[in-house]
Amino acid sequence: MKEFITYLDSRIEEGRAEIAALTADGRKDDANFAKVRTNIYDVCRTVSRTLADRPGAGIDAIAAQLERFRTTWGAALEKAKQHGDVSGIAVEETKLAALEDVIAHFREVTGA
Amino acid sequence: MTQETALKVFKCLSDMSRLRIIQSLNQGEMYTELLAERLELTPSTVSFHMKKLEDAGLVLSRKEQYYTVYSLNREVLEKTVYALAASQPEQIDEQQKREEAYRQKVIKSFFDYDVLRAIPVQRKKKLICYERIAERFELGRVYEEKEVNEIISPIYADYCTIRRDMISEGIFQRDGNRYVRLK
Repeated sequence: MKEFITYLDSRIEEGRAEIAALTADGRKDDANFAKVRTNIYDVCRTVSRTLADRPGAGIDAIAAQLERFRTTWGAALEKAKQHGDVSGIAVEETKLAALEDVIAHFREVTGA
Repeated sequence: MTQETALKVFKCLSDMSRLRIIQSLNQGEMYTELLAERLELTPSTVSFHMKKLEDAGLVLSRKEQYYTVYSLNREVLEKTVYALAASQPEQIDEQQKREEAYRQKVIKSFFDYDVLRAIPVQRKKKLICYERIAERFELGRVYEEKEVNEIISPIYADYCTIRRDMISEGIFQRDGNRYVRLK
């Protein structure tokens, strides 16, 4: 679990550096998408830390929570697509791409 | 071009990614995936930028089979900065503009796309939401109550309250089981 949290820490740090670089490069909207992405790593870190420390929770609880995120954000993406909401689609796809990265790494580390 | 549109153009251009998109399109028409590859952005991010460029009138689009092909709107891009800066304000009543902005804000707060999150407590806000729902009905056409319910229920589960409120607000006129949208 420690390895997974360290990985999330590094993704958050990279994200913060990317936000600063994009902002400095005059790419405010791209920086906002980087913020969305970084926020997802942050949310996953908070959830993982909390569940890892909770008695009776642990790896299975984290896997289930990540799956719930996937369902909720997947539904939000579908809704945005149905309504042709270009901005919403970009945000939800950014969230899901970051989440898929987290899930892949979580499985690799824990074998869940 | 109005001052409002010119402002949109300037805001839109103050972004490096969008300037790069314009530079790419200067070489010829392109579709989203190709631009995404060139600019190392995701296709959805490119679509987001394209929407802004299109809204500002800087880019034109056309459908070609499965793709949307984008090209530069040279009519706007070849205007001088002075011509843009000297454009005249739109002749819209300020009060009207403020009311429309307020209306949009209320709709954004109370609707999740087409679904009403909750019925506003404040009457002014409630009316704005009901007027938005009323847009689903043709003016003057007679609707059976069943039809009215079928149209309102996907928007808000308690369709009876909405239907009744819309009558008392004078949006619908009811005659037995028949309803007509008045405004």
